Amino acid sequence: MFAAFDKVFTPENILYLAKGAVISLIIAALSLLLGIVLGIIGASAKRSKFFVIRMLGNIYVEVIRGTPMLLQILLLFSVVPSIYTAFTGEVLRINIYLIGVIAMSINSGAYSTELIRSGINGVDKGQWEACETLGLTHWQTMKLVVLPQAFKRIIPPMISEFITLIKDSSLISCIGAGELLKASQVIGAEYYDVMSPYCLAAIFYLIMTISISYLGRYVERKLAESD
Amino acid sequence: MIKVEHIVKQFKDLKAVNDVSLEIKKGEIVCLIGPSGSGKSTVLRCINGLEKPEQGHVYLNGQLLDESQKEQYTQLRSQMGFVFQHFNLFPHMTVLKNLTLAQIQVKQRSEEEAIKIACEYLERVGLLDKKDEYPSKLSGGQKQRVAIARSLCMNPQIMLFDEPTSALDPEVVIEVLEVMQELAKEGMTMVVVTHEMGFARTVADRVIFLEDGQIVEENTSEEFFSHPKTKRAQDFLNKVMH
Repeated sequence: MFAAFDKVFTPENILYLAKGAVISLIIAALSLLLGIVLGIIGASAKRSKFFVIRMLGNIYVEVIRGTPMLLQILLLFSVVPSIYTAFTGEVLRINIYLIGVIAMSINSGAYSTELIRSGINGVDKGQWEACETLGLTHWQTMKLVVLPQAFKRIIPPMISEFITLIKDSSLISCIGAGELLKASQVIGAEYYDVMSPYCLAAIFYLIMTISISYLGRYVERKLAESD
Repeated sequence: MIKVEHIVKQFKDLKAVNDVSLEIKKGEIVCLIGPSGSGKSTVLRCINGLEKPEQGHVYLNGQLLDESQKEQYTQLRSQMGFVFQHFNLFPHMTVLKNLTLAQIQVKQRSEEEAIKIACEYLERVGLLDKKDEYPSKLSGGQKQRVAIARSLCMNPQIMLFDEPTSALDPEVVIEVLEVMQELAKEGMTMVVVTHEMGFARTVADRVIFLEDGQIVEENTSEEFFSHPKTKRAQDFLNKVMH
């Protein structure tokens, strides 16, 4: 099974995989951050007074959560250049990493929207009322009282979202991005043994996800202390 | 000072407040009492606009509380302090920050001035030594005293209390009532929704008894507790006074 394990297990190959892991981590982190930005916009939309804006927020969340991320990545990968070609007649070459990050951010944004929205809704109604009686405006209340409390609740599920994104970043290997999974496939092709590099890739994924999961638990404990 | 005219507030099928009118003069201490679900808290919440009555009007110093007149509305509401049953302190801020936040943001006071005023009121409720604690470290009675101080920092002309001692352990009720009594002595106008009959009897000038969203009886506290006129008030007092 592990036909060429001793040949695969060289410092150069490990380094190659480690580089892939770093790319995965960077892509996941960027997607998480951009996703949070989209999540704040989405949550505001879903809390809007205006029906149309609320509706747009709902459509965004439902469409993105209701379709596979792989499909979203492939769509963005093929649709954007063909629209560009249709309008300009020229061929567009976009950086595949950029496509990957955009697709994953849009996807993560839908989940962040729900996390942020439920975080805001989870803040006791009495906090709004207290601010109202003290004369604070809606935005002062949101910024100074509600969001700081909401973010405290949001941080633990956001860490799980980060772990999900690290694993899901493997999906962009299908459009050719050289992240961790792709790196293992390249090594596999070189040595006619996919088993060994896949297992090594799995170990790299586990190192990343388990350490972030522990970090998450630590943060959760710290947050609980100040309650 | 406060005039409430024929307010009606409906929650789905329930008429929580059904045509209530009342008047509160400057310096007066009025207790709203009645069985739970009688609408007394809703009346109080309508007075400062936390609930919007479907019908009727509320006036403060002759001026109508009208949500469409935003500036005047905010200005009028800011003259009323409100104390909640569940305190509603900001859990992510220290006691001092709880007291200075609105002073700085709403009253545009400098931080120095806000802290000075906050400390004065904390001293008055006997909690100056807790100024750097977070609310979670305080007892229920201490939390409520902080909440009262937070309201007072905004220099209200009138204080509204919504069952301020109902969520407290019996042994700490007294420390909150003492603070309120102190306020009353200083001449603060107060409207208090309460189940504390002892407080209503000794501190209040007037008692308004509500049931099913309506005022059943209104009298000086002495008259009300010694010679209740209506049968419903008599029944209620028999149940709550031992």
